[in-house]
Amino acid sequence: MRIPGRTGASRRPRRWASLVGAAALMTSLAACSSGPEGIVINLYGGASQTGFDQIIAQCNEQAAGRYTIVGNLLPSDADGQRDQLVRRLAAQDAGMDILGMDVTWTAEFAEAGWIRELNPQQVAAANQDILQPPIDTAVWKGRQYGIPKHTNVQLLWYRKDLVPTPPKTFDEMMQMAQQLKDQGKPYEIGFTAAQYEGYVVNINNLVKGYGGRIVNDDSTAPAVDDKTMQALTLLHKLATSGLTSPSLSNAQEPEVFADLQNGRSAFSLNWPYVLASMKEANPALVPDLGYAPFPSVKPGEPPTTTLGGMNFAISSYSRHPDEAFDAVMCMRSPEHQLQHAINAGEPPTNRTVYDQPEMKDAYPMSEVMLTELQSAVTRPISPVYQNISTVLSTTLSPPAAIDPQTSTDELRSSIQDAIEGKGILP
Amino acid sequence: MTQTPPPATAEAVEERQDDGSLDIARRRANEAQRAERKLGLLLVAPAVTIMLAVAAYPIIYAFWLSLNKADLRRPDANEFIGFANYVTVLSSPIWWRAFGVTMFITIVSAFLELVFGMLLAIVMHRTIVGRGLVRTSALVPYGIVTVVAAFSWRFAWTADLGWLAPEGSAPLTEFWPSMWIIILAEVWKTIPFMALLLMAGLALVPEDLLKAASMDGANAWKRFWLITVPLIKPAILVALLFRTLDAFRVFDSIFILTSGANGTSSVSMVAYSNLIRGLNLGIGSTMSVLIFITTGIIAFIFIKAFGAAAPGADPGGRK
Amino acid sequence: MQTETTQRKLMWWGVNVLVLLYAFIPVIWILSLSLKDATTLNDGRYLPVSPTGDSYAAIFSNADFLRALFNSIGICLIATLIAIVFGTMAAYAIARLTFPGKASIVAVSLLISMFPQIALVTPLFKILVTIGLFDTWLGLIIPYVTFALPLAIYTLSAFFREIPWDLEKAAKMDGATPYQAFRQVITPLAMPGIFTTAILVFISCWNDFLFALSLTSTSAARTVPAAMSYFTGATTFEKPTGPIAAAAVVITIPIVIFVLLFQRRIVAGLTSGAVKG
Repeated sequence: MRIPGRTGASRRPRRWASLVGAAALMTSLAACSSGPEGIVINLYGGASQTGFDQIIAQCNEQAAGRYTIVGNLLPSDADGQRDQLVRRLAAQDAGMDILGMDVTWTAEFAEAGWIRELNPQQVAAANQDILQPPIDTAVWKGRQYGIPKHTNVQLLWYRKDLVPTPPKTFDEMMQMAQQLKDQGKPYEIGFTAAQYEGYVVNINNLVKGYGGRIVNDDSTAPAVDDKTMQALTLLHKLATSGLTSPSLSNAQEPEVFADLQNGRSAFSLNWPYVLASMKEANPALVPDLGYAPFPSVKPGEPPTTTLGGMNFAISSYSRHPDEAFDAVMCMRSPEHQLQHAINAGEPPTNRTVYDQPEMKDAYPMSEVMLTELQSAVTRPISPVYQNISTVLSTTLSPPAAIDPQTSTDELRSSIQDAIEGKGILP
Repeated sequence: MTQTPPPATAEAVEERQDDGSLDIARRRANEAQRAERKLGLLLVAPAVTIMLAVAAYPIIYAFWLSLNKADLRRPDANEFIGFANYVTVLSSPIWWRAFGVTMFITIVSAFLELVFGMLLAIVMHRTIVGRGLVRTSALVPYGIVTVVAAFSWRFAWTADLGWLAPEGSAPLTEFWPSMWIIILAEVWKTIPFMALLLMAGLALVPEDLLKAASMDGANAWKRFWLITVPLIKPAILVALLFRTLDAFRVFDSIFILTSGANGTSSVSMVAYSNLIRGLNLGIGSTMSVLIFITTGIIAFIFIKAFGAAAPGADPGGRK
Repeated sequence: MQTETTQRKLMWWGVNVLVLLYAFIPVIWILSLSLKDATTLNDGRYLPVSPTGDSYAAIFSNADFLRALFNSIGICLIATLIAIVFGTMAAYAIARLTFPGKASIVAVSLLISMFPQIALVTPLFKILVTIGLFDTWLGLIIPYVTFALPLAIYTLSAFFREIPWDLEKAAKMDGATPYQAFRQVITPLAMPGIFTTAILVFISCWNDFLFALSLTSTSAARTVPAAMSYFTGATTFEKPTGPIAAAAVVITIPIVIFVLLFQRRIVAGLTSGAVKG
């Protein structure tokens, strides 16, 4: 992606720069296929992100022949990535050393025995200077498997020209939107509510906001209660308020972004990439684009936002786990995290990187992000997370059709079934 | 329609007439029959070998998995549970809802594809100007990768982003509009498949027959139903059969257009959900087997309905 | 008479235009998406306001995409050729000869094409890994041939049954050698079916996504539809709409060429005077 703040002519051609990045990666791959000397560490996942080939090359140089990291491509969608990894792990494929995993896969892969538990020294090294919430996503049943690579958290994007002070709570945001609507100004509140993972992120935001949980700590039973019901009440109210896009129940990130770009949204709940992308898509709007902490569900409480991001883990079938660990530590060193944050828009997991001037240049909103990251929440941690997520997004789709009481009961029983592996997934 | 007997038999019959000697003729007929059998088996051998070698094990394995409690994450914990998975699936409203949706999409799109495919085939076959242009252009939709075509439809029908979405409404967030858009995406893309098969059939209809009928005073409509349709019945069967079987397994278009929201999930999507997302091999395989059985029934009905026009049926000429 | 022909021509042009509209309105939309830039991608207009070739530049500078294009062409041509040869042999036998097991072969091949492929991917993956064909051209060609054969056999046998084979005998009686009879009488009649089938098999192979994605792991054998799913947007949350649309346009071109070359063969049909017995 474009470096936020970078100017002028270089912007447009960089639009699809990641593709070219992939090209460079493949060229290095082709070079490797002629046989790199010594130990080859195969990386699957995250390798095709913009500029990651440079990080790999730098680490290979640092390793000075001890190992050579080879970045392999995976499909760009999370489901496709998991499908590929799972199929090969189930076949005990030794051709994969480092796995770039979505933060929600840890419990599943750990429970299946596909990824290695880190030893105490490794844990200490992996967690040094790392924010606690991303570490939580790397742990299952008290053991750490993942090495946080990058994290992510949604912000409230809003139109400064329409809204002088950003709302602090959902209720306030809806009141403001209603006023704008009454005045005939752009008013929409944009968020992802299509039947997919991005909707689960929003459901989780609200449930955790009310202090609720979706499953209990060891994922043996659903923990859906009246707090979930409160969250669903709010979600339903929002979806039926007439303050959202007519396409709400089919909106994924690109649609939410487009509504902001086209001037229909006054508020947009979306990830940090919005700023850099808006500089290209609609530069005229950028001066009016404000950012603020994600709204809370209750006044006076800090926002609870769901963590995104990726962890590295080492395959149980890797023949070079020690070299793989060292390779991971290099690829996510503070310098490389900064580089990656600037090139690919993936926020660092290192606390101190947020203090770097380059980080503040690239992410004017880094303070807000850091505040949110410190109180961020995880999605349900469970070996059957995919099932729980599927149940959540289908049971509660479309959001306007939610009936808080019956939907809560339905969720409880279908999550129970998902945990026990009973019934079928929708 | 009338069919000529296979050459070997025909020759044998002739020789018997020429020769007059019943005994020799019978022996020769037997030899010819044996040679024909041998040739037949030899000719089908490569195709059958490769099909069985590649597909037999995976299909049998899927059947076996459907009788097990099986999870990809726990390969050693497979447990034989008989038909319990079938009970689970067949007693689930989720399955039957998806089944109904899929059936509807299949029937409506196969029908529309047949009608428009036939019209397109006639145009491609009959047009007296710009034949190459029409024939080539008409096949372009079939050449577009399904996922991309579906994505472009999604874009086109999303309010504000696309040129097809009516102002202020979002057709892809409601059940019926979504269904029609899914059908549109499917039909648009596969009309050429039908048309191409039907056109190749039309190419085999003798011009003279049509001319003769025309002179006898049959109008175009009559000529079409009385001469063309009976002659291209095998082509219609094959086109309809393969399209229906494919339509029943619709996946890409729905996955991209609605992700199955608002009750638009198809049986293949539910199978995907359980097999790939849930890694539940038992239930996923059960659904695959059920889809297989359903398509089998559809195929059986078609083949019965078309009778002697079906491939491998005894040719009518032998009567 | 002259005016009648002109009228008929005009009428057919009218019909042709309808066909072109049907085929190209959605295709031009995809083309238009491939030419839009970031500022106009979401503007909802059918045609791009300020067309740009950036997306095309991006895919053509992507070595993985070019390699995938090469793989697609090679794999699909070989698979089509094999499927047509084996399919023609089998279809001839099924349409013309009597031999034991014919009905079951017809039934089994249909069964194979009916099984949801998604359930077959994992076992196929295991087989290919075991025999060392995972991530090779052959590893894709074999499943493509397998799943194209049923369609090929059905289509071809439907056509072979319609061919008036006694014409061949008539030609022989008229003094033609068996080869001449076959070459000059049967071949032209069989060609429409064979080329039709070749086009269908080629396209189904060309558009396959599932096998291409699951049975490859590097650019050694990955075909275009799979490579397209590896395109990444500038960030995780952005879709590379432009490059995907551009790739879709680019990979349609070989199909158009393929069809352009072969559509003439479909013209043939029955020569006048050939009436079935």
